[in-house]
Amino acid sequence: MSVTTAPASAPAAVRAVTVRSVLHSEWIKIRSVRSSFGSLLAVLVAALGIALAVFPAIGQPEAATGDIDRLYWLYYPMNFVQIAALAFGATAASSEYLNGALRNSLAAVPRRGLFYGAKVAVVAACALVAGVAAGFVMFFTANAFLGEYAVGIGERGALRSCFGAGLYLMLITLFSLGLTFLLRSAVAVLSLLIPFLLLVSFVIGGVSEGAATWLPDRAGQQILFQDPTGPLGPWSGLGVTALSAAAVLLAGWWAVRRRDA
Amino acid sequence: MTSIDVKNLTKEYAGRRAARAVDGLSFRVEPGRVTGFLGPNGAGKSTTMRLVLGLDRPTSGTATIGGRPYAELDRPLSTVGALLDAQAAHPSRTGRDHLRFLAASNGLPARRVDEVLAETGLEPAARRRIRGYSLGMRQRLGIAAALLGDPRVLMLDEPANGLDPEGIVWIRGLLRRLAAEGRTVLVSSHLMNETATFADHLVVLGRGRLLADVPVREFIDAHSRARVRVRTGDPVRLRATLLAKGWAVGEAPDGEGRWVVEGASAEEIGAVTAREGIPVFELADERASLEQAYLALTSDAAEFTTVSQEV
Repeated sequence: MSVTTAPASAPAAVRAVTVRSVLHSEWIKIRSVRSSFGSLLAVLVAALGIALAVFPAIGQPEAATGDIDRLYWLYYPMNFVQIAALAFGATAASSEYLNGALRNSLAAVPRRGLFYGAKVAVVAACALVAGVAAGFVMFFTANAFLGEYAVGIGERGALRSCFGAGLYLMLITLFSLGLTFLLRSAVAVLSLLIPFLLLVSFVIGGVSEGAATWLPDRAGQQILFQDPTGPLGPWSGLGVTALSAAAVLLAGWWAVRRRDA
Repeated sequence: MTSIDVKNLTKEYAGRRAARAVDGLSFRVEPGRVTGFLGPNGAGKSTTMRLVLGLDRPTSGTATIGGRPYAELDRPLSTVGALLDAQAAHPSRTGRDHLRFLAASNGLPARRVDEVLAETGLEPAARRRIRGYSLGMRQRLGIAAALLGDPRVLMLDEPANGLDPEGIVWIRGLLRRLAAEGRTVLVSSHLMNETATFADHLVVLGRGRLLADVPVREFIDAHSRARVRVRTGDPVRLRATLLAKGWAVGEAPDGEGRWVVEGASAEEIGAVTAREGIPVFELADERASLEQAYLALTSDAAEFTTVSQEV
């Protein structure tokens, strides 16, 4: 395809903006903004770092109390890992709202559905890969320090939890992505979601009954339990998170489609 | 042939006064020439450009490129290259990465990135973060992005903003060359004199409405009448002589005894005074400037004037 020669000779019918070209473009965008790519790496770094900080010291004593699900205890670092995932989703969207960068993006890809779909797909793929890796990292790092309380990868629910952790992190990322497209500011989204995850859900979650069960993070983390209690199973819980992420992504799409850029 | 066609375009913003940024605007930008897009700040130039690119939705009317709305173009970056706002690039990307993602989205080869970097003189800064770019460098990056797809139409919003004198000379040459290659070039500015140095045609806006759509030459001829300023030792005779020849003579507003003769050239007045033996100490052509003509045209429509009438 020649693009430098006389415009008249260009084959007019060839569509230059394809699903593939836009996916490639979105990947370059993520790769080239430090805050986005850094947050993605932080998902892995937090998984390893928090596990190494926590389990050598209190891994076995805490497991010995028997108050906590054996499998769920391995994913203690998830409290912090998911914040990196939120930041990744938020910055991937907010970079389009910095100084009106969205105008450049939409001038290059005027079909907004294609633009939004490619953004969601690339962010989802990145978050899934990093998330599944983080799931296995958390599982094996914690187990290395748990001695007799270790959980084998072949045990019931173990593999499901590793991959489930990745799916959960992907959904949390997409939730944050959609909300940032709606609110157009990473700061707004993060100052809304981080306190929510760290405080509200944590505090209400301690009660562990009623409405708190259905919060997107609580529900999705059922996938990390060997024996989930309450009305939601591992997959139905993740389904609740998926539905809420889908709802927020739709709201984000509505905003991108309707608004002047 | 790819022209920009704007038909009955209106953009209303909801709000306190439901302001109309663009109001029933119709004009056509033809290929093969540079069209200057003029108007005071807030006249609707940038809004019109965003409407042409489908970034904002019009309240009514249409804007098309070669007969098609921008959103339906198969090769957007190879059809229209636009510079809207030089600040609209993520500061933590390098200039090169900014161009790379744009090129990739339209399936343009990576070599185009290097070509436009070379063309805009940005090669030495290509791998630095945009955060550290000067306004002039950001402007060049925006122009590089506009040229990326080798487009048939260029739409540049105040491209000379922030450029140094050398850069301004460069952009004039670039605009002339692009038009000479048969491309459609629309360049906005709020400065008439600057625009007159590179434009062939003018589209002038005021308060979202079309004020003029004329060739630059015609605008100059229509709006800048010749006049002569003269200082003499014998004002009474000068005045009588020139009035007798049918020229209007008025006192110059500087209060130093100079006279202004409308519609005359220095050659004509010099010949007359020499023939009549009227002593002349000073004689000079004084063309009413283009800027003044433009100000007269747009003053009624300017959004913010220095003298507020509503206080």
